[in-house]
Amino acid sequence: MTSSLGAVRGVQHRDEREPVSVERSNETNSKWLDAHYDPLANLYTFSSCTALLDLHRDGEAKLVVGDLGTGLCNMKLKVYKGTSLMTENALLDLPTGVVTFLMDQNEPRTPAVAVASGPYIYVYKNLRPYFKFTLPALDVNLLEQDVWNQAKQDMIDPMTLKEMLEGIRDKADVPLSVRSLRFLMLEQEEMESFVNLHKHHPIKRQTVITCMGTLKKNMADEDAVSCLVIGTESAEVLILDPEAFTILTKMNLPSVPAFLDVTGQYDVEFRITMACRNGSLYILRRDSKRPKYCIELSSQPVGLVRVQKNIVVGCSEETLHAYTQKGKKLWTVYLPSSITTMGLLDQKSRGFQAVMVGLASQEVHLYRDKNLLNIIRTPDVVTSVCFGRYGREDNTLIMTTKGGGLIIKILKRTAVFEEKDTSPGPPLAQGVKLSVPKKTKLYVDQTLRERENAVAMHRIFQADLYRLRLMAARAYVKALEGSVAPISSVQQEPLQMNAVVQGIGPKFKLTLNIQNTSINHPSIHLLISFLYDERLYSMENSFFKIPLLVPGLNYPIETFVDCLSDKGISDLIKVFVLREGKSAPLLTAHINMPVSEGLAAA
Amino acid sequence: MAKEFRCCHWPNTVFDRAQQIPTVPGASEPRKSRLKKAPELPILERRNWLIHLHYIRKDYETCKAVIKEQLHETKGMCEYAVYVQALIFRLEGKIQESLELFQTCAILSPQSVDNLKQVARSLFLLGKHKAAVEVYNEAARLNQKDWEICHNLGVCYLYLKEFGKAKEQLNNALQLNRHDLTFMMLGKIHLLEGDIEGAIEVYKRAVESSPENTELLTTLGLLYLQLGVFQKAFEHLGNALTYDSSNYKAILAAGSMMQTHGDFDVALTKYRVAACTMPESPPLWNNISMCFFGKKKYVAAISCLKRANYLAPFDWKILYNLGLVHLTMQQYASAFHFLSAAINLQPKMGDLYMLLAVALTNLEDPENAKRSYEQAVIFDQCNPLVNLNFAILMYNQGDKKEALCQYQEMERKVNKLKESTAEFDPEMVDMGQKIGAALQVGESLVWTKSSKDSKIKQRPPTPCIQQQPLGSNQALGQAMSSAAGYGKIMHLPTGGVGLSQFSKPPSLPLEPELGPDETIANSSAIHDHERRKE
Repeated sequence: MTSSLGAVRGVQHRDEREPVSVERSNETNSKWLDAHYDPLANLYTFSSCTALLDLHRDGEAKLVVGDLGTGLCNMKLKVYKGTSLMTENALLDLPTGVVTFLMDQNEPRTPAVAVASGPYIYVYKNLRPYFKFTLPALDVNLLEQDVWNQAKQDMIDPMTLKEMLEGIRDKADVPLSVRSLRFLMLEQEEMESFVNLHKHHPIKRQTVITCMGTLKKNMADEDAVSCLVIGTESAEVLILDPEAFTILTKMNLPSVPAFLDVTGQYDVEFRITMACRNGSLYILRRDSKRPKYCIELSSQPVGLVRVQKNIVVGCSEETLHAYTQKGKKLWTVYLPSSITTMGLLDQKSRGFQAVMVGLASQEVHLYRDKNLLNIIRTPDVVTSVCFGRYGREDNTLIMTTKGGGLIIKILKRTAVFEEKDTSPGPPLAQGVKLSVPKKTKLYVDQTLRERENAVAMHRIFQADLYRLRLMAARAYVKALEGSVAPISSVQQEPLQMNAVVQGIGPKFKLTLNIQNTSINHPSIHLLISFLYDERLYSMENSFFKIPLLVPGLNYPIETFVDCLSDKGISDLIKVFVLREGKSAPLLTAHINMPVSEGLAAA
Repeated sequence: MAKEFRCCHWPNTVFDRAQQIPTVPGASEPRKSRLKKAPELPILERRNWLIHLHYIRKDYETCKAVIKEQLHETKGMCEYAVYVQALIFRLEGKIQESLELFQTCAILSPQSVDNLKQVARSLFLLGKHKAAVEVYNEAARLNQKDWEICHNLGVCYLYLKEFGKAKEQLNNALQLNRHDLTFMMLGKIHLLEGDIEGAIEVYKRAVESSPENTELLTTLGLLYLQLGVFQKAFEHLGNALTYDSSNYKAILAAGSMMQTHGDFDVALTKYRVAACTMPESPPLWNNISMCFFGKKKYVAAISCLKRANYLAPFDWKILYNLGLVHLTMQQYASAFHFLSAAINLQPKMGDLYMLLAVALTNLEDPENAKRSYEQAVIFDQCNPLVNLNFAILMYNQGDKKEALCQYQEMERKVNKLKESTAEFDPEMVDMGQKIGAALQVGESLVWTKSSKDSKIKQRPPTPCIQQQPLGSNQALGQAMSSAAGYGKIMHLPTGGVGLSQFSKPPSLPLEPELGPDETIANSSAIHDHERRKE
C-alpha cells in the first residue's frame, strides 16, 4: 500500500479529532470526515462488487472488493481492514457481483462471501474457498444436437454440417451453442480438425451471471439466513437455497437483467426489482413466474436503489426517477451530470435513509426523496459507493474512483441532514446586474449632432452612396473592357487564372494555374507576358507561349523570379495572358510579391 | 496469498492450473477423457454485463476497449458487443458504420426486435424515413406492444408528412406508455397542421401525466399565449419557473407578458436570470432593451438593441426596434438606415414602410416618404395609423384629396377594429380628430366610443402636441415613440410565427406602441419555434 495515513485511528477508534484530511471539502462545515484517500489503490470495481462485513466476528467490519484487475487478468478478491489491504485472493474470471450472507445457523455465525463470476458462484468462508456453484446448462437445440450426432458418426462432411447449422441458426427459437457458432466462423480448411476435436463431446450451452443479490430466507432479522438471487444473461432470475445450493425458484424476464434489488423473505413474500438492458424495470413477486409490473423508462437505467418501499432508479439521460412498488411514478429529479453509480445511505442509528448518486462531474449527491441534501466533491469520478459499518465506525462511506482510488469518509456523529425546502427561492442570478454596454460621452455628442443635422447627414450620405455606386460600376466596366480581371469574360476564351508565389527570396517560384473553363472548346495560341520593375526583379523568360489548354484541366505553369534588391522592398508583378496577334490581354493578374528575406543575388 | 487459492480444491470441481483462460473446464467433464480433451470454448456473452455497465455510464473509451477484447476473443461473434459498438458509433456520428454493424447483428440473430429497432433508428437518422418505416413495421410484427416502435413510427411518418398515420402511431404509443417525448411529438404534429387547440389538448394531457416537466409546461404556456389566453399562459409559465427558475424559454415568455402589462422592473429582474444562463441570446437582449425603452431609458435601450443586433444581424425585428428607438431619439438618419435594413430583410410589412416614411418625412424627403407610405398601404391590412400618418403627410403637402382618401380608409379600419373592442390610443384619436377637422369632414363619430374608454382609464400625461401646423411630422414622430412608452396594451398578436400573424386580422390593438410589444412577442415566439425545431 502506498499511502498509509495517520487516519487509521480515525477509522478504528473514533475520536473527534479531525483526522488528516486528504481532500479539502469545499464546505467548511462538512458533514463528513475525510478518513482515508489512496489515489493509487488500483481498484477497478463497481458498487455491485463491494461489500462490508464483519468477517471474523471480531466487531471490526472489513471491506471486500471484487477487483476486475486490468479487465483481462489480475482479477482479485481484496479485503481491506482500516486503511490497508489485509488479504487478496486471485479470481479466475471477472467478478460480476460480491455479496455477503449467512448460509446456515451454525455457530459461530460467520458470514460467507459469494463472488459471482462467469457461470459460477464462488462461496468463501473465512476467506477460504468453500463451495463452487455452477449455473445449470441451458437447453440445447435438438436439431443442432442431431446434426452434431450425424457429424460424430461421420455421416456428413463439414460443409454439409455448416449449411445445416446455418439453416438452424436462421430459424431456431433456441440459439446455437458456442461450438456451432464458432464452427460457422471457421475457414474451410480449419473445419475438419475442429469437428474432429469437438464432435465426441456433448454440446452444452452455458450462460453467465449478470447480477446478484440476497434474499432473507424466512426471518427478517439482521443475521438471518439468506438465499442468493441471481440474474443471468439468458434473462432468468434464479433463487438459490443457501445450504444445499439448489435452485428454489426460477423466473423469466423479457430482457437481460443489469441491476437487481430484493426485499422481503423467501418463505413469506418478496419482491425482486430488476433493471434490464431493454430500459425497463420489472417487479417480480413470490407467486408468479413472470414479472408482475413493468416500468418502461425512457433511457437506460444506470443504478437501482430501494428506499423503504419506493424504487429510485437513475437513468442515463441524467435523471433520477422514483416509483412505488406497483410501478407508479412518484417524482423525477434532473441531475447536472450523468450518473456513474448509485447506492443507499442507511444511517440506522437515526433511521435515516437516502440515495447516493455518483456523478460524472466528480460529485456524489445525496437525495432524500427529491430533495438534494448534501454534495460530496471527490477528486475523481466515483465508480462505486458503499455505505455502512466499517472498522468500528457505523456510518462510513466507501467510494472507489475511475482512476482506481479508494476514498473512505466518515459521517460525523453530530451531522444531521436537514430537509430543506423544496423551492429554492429566487436563483442567485436574479441579483446579478445586467451588463448593459455603456455609452461614451462621444456617443452622446454624436447623437446630439445627428439630431441637429439629420437632414444634411442623410443627404450627404445618399449623395456619397450614389457616387460610390457609380464609381464601383465604372471600375467594373473598366475591368471588363480592359480584361484586367483574372477571369476572362471573352466568350471565345473563357479562362481563369490564379498565381502562387513560393520561396523566401531572393529566388521565388511563381506558379500560374490556368484553367480553360469552357465546356468543349480548347484554347490555343496563347501567350504569357510579365510586366515588372526591372530594377527590382529579373526573370529568365518573361514572355513565352503556353500549350494548348484542354477544357476543365488545371495547367500549373512555373517560372522563377529573382529579386535584385536587398533593401527589403517589394513590388507588383503583372501577368498578362494574351492571344497571338492581339495586344489587348485576355486576362490580367496582379501578384503582390513578398519581401525577399534572403540575400540578394550577387 | 494468491498462490494459496490456486492450490486448494473446490468441493465439487478442480481447477486446472495450467489453464490460464478464465473459463474453467465444465463440471460435467471428468478427468477420464484425457486422451482427447477438447479446448473449452469461452462463453460468447461472458463480458456482456461489463460492456453494458460501461456503456450506460457513458464510459465509451473503456467500453470500446472491452468490446474490442471481446470481439477478438469470440472472432466477432458476440452479438451484444457488436450491438453496443454500433450504438457507440452512432453516438459518435458514424451512422453508416453503425448501420453496417447492426446489419451484422441481424445476421447473428435474425429474430431480435432490438436489433431491428436499431437498424430502423439508424436509417431514420440517415434520413431514409421510408426504409425506416418498413423496418419498424417488421419489428412491430415481432413485438406488437412496444412503445418505442410505435413512437418512432410516428416520428417517421411525421417526417414523411403523413400526419394522419403519425398521429395514429403516436396515440398507440401513448396507450402503451405515456412518455413525455411522445406527447411532444404529437403536439408538434398538431402545430404543423395549424391546430393549436389540438396541440393544447395534447400538452394538457402531457402535463397531467408529468406535472413537473418544465419543457411541457413552457410549451403549453406559449401555446396559450398564442391563443391569447393570458391567464392560463401565465399560470403554466409560472409553474415552469417554479420547478426550474432559470428556464430560459419560460423566462422570456413570462417576461414579455409582464412587459405588455408594463411591469418593466419585474420583467427585468426575470431577464437577469436568463442573461446569466444565456448571455448571447438576441431575443433576450431585444426584450431587455424594450424594457428600458418602456422605462424611457433610451440610451440603455439602444445599447441593448445594438448588442442584440450584433448577435443576430439578420433579425429584422431587432432592426425594427432600433429604427423605432432612433426615431424616438430624433436620430432620423440612423433610424433610416436601420429601417431600410429591416425592409431589406422583411419586405412585406406595412408598419416598417410607415416608420421609414416617418423617418423620410423628418429627413425632408417627402417624395420618397410618399412612396414609402404607398407601399405601407399596400401591405397593411388593419393598422389605421398607417393611413392616418399618410393623410397627415398628404395634408401637409397640400394634397387634400389624397389626404381625405386616406382619412376615409383609416375610418374604415377603425370601424372594423371597434368591433373587436380594441382601445385606441388617445393620442391617435386626438390627431385623427384634428386632421378630420382640418379636412372639414366634421366631427366624425368614429372615435366616440373609444375616446370614452380612454377617458375612463387613468393614463400618464401625454406630451403636448404642437397645434400648428397640424400633425407636423415632428409631432407625429413624437407621438409614435412616446406612445410606445406607455406599454399598456393587453393584447398580444397571436399568430404563429413570423409573418403569419400579420396577414391574420385578429384583435390587433390599434395603438402605435404595437411596434415594440409586438416585436417582443414575435421574437420570443420565433425563438420558441426555433427551439422546438431542434
